[in-house]
Amino acid sequence: MTEALSFEGVNDAAFLARLRAGDSAARLAFSNLVRATHGRLLGYVRRHLGDLEESQEVLQEVYLAAHKGLGGFEGKSKLTTWLFSLAHFKVCDRIADRTRDRAVFRDVGDALDSDDGLAAVRVADGGDAGDSDLSRVTVWDSAPDKVLARNRAERWIAAAVAALEPPGCDVYQLRDVEGLSGEEVAAMLGLSHAAVRVQLHRARATIVAFVRARINRAGEFETQGGKAVRA
Amino acid sequence: MNIVAARFIYPCDQIPDFAYDYLEHRLPVTTALRFRTHLKFCKGCAEFVRLYRMAADPVQFLEETPAPPELIERTLEFLENELGKESDIR
Repeated sequence: MTEALSFEGVNDAAFLARLRAGDSAARLAFSNLVRATHGRLLGYVRRHLGDLEESQEVLQEVYLAAHKGLGGFEGKSKLTTWLFSLAHFKVCDRIADRTRDRAVFRDVGDALDSDDGLAAVRVADGGDAGDSDLSRVTVWDSAPDKVLARNRAERWIAAAVAALEPPGCDVYQLRDVEGLSGEEVAAMLGLSHAAVRVQLHRARATIVAFVRARINRAGEFETQGGKAVRA
Repeated sequence: MNIVAARFIYPCDQIPDFAYDYLEHRLPVTTALRFRTHLKFCKGCAEFVRLYRMAADPVQFLEETPAPPELIERTLEFLENELGKESDIR
């Protein structure tokens, strides 16, 4: 039987005890955990990775790690915070993989641009230029989440959020988007509370600068009362 | 900005530094008062704070695409396969 749990509901001590019981009730509790947290965690992962399928893959890894690591979860943080931590680390791994792929893409691109490009690729690849290195090149859609923006300023903010870079990006996503407390974010990312504050402020200010630049560029718009309207 | 008013309120370059604490309601009363007074006189800073407030509360306009229910089922199926039949979590 499935139990309708809220996202915050999984932090209940009795639910955690059931998760750790190691019996059939625990297995059912874990499926309820997945159902209750899947949407929020998928949203978090997707805001970093963009692609839905890839985000789903990463999220599966997150739940797998959670299932294996549940015994070691000490309960010092909320269960949802712990899940966000796992998601955060998996996202970082995935982005690191992408960066490696991008480096390969750049190397291959540089080689192809050079005089003896294809030969260089063949040498680097140990033979045929079309195989291993090129097959590792991942072309992904880095477009941000689709946003339902009610006005132009909001769309720009959403675009600015998607363009934020670490570490401010992580702090901002966890604090302002996911609503974790400053203490939780500090513990998750291994930062001091002051550092979280500074990073968060910088991220917000970066967003504002991004939006203002576009407002200035657009020129014909005048912002008014939270809405961008034609002057 | 009105020159007389400017004597009693903060200069524009200090406004961003106060924005974080202002939103957290952590500014001392007199500082908050001077901060708000500045915003009344200065359209540019008022816009900065308005956008800053929007940036600090993006959930209202960041679309949270509901995950298709089949994705949850796929996740459960994946876990079931990975963890073995004895860990049938469904």
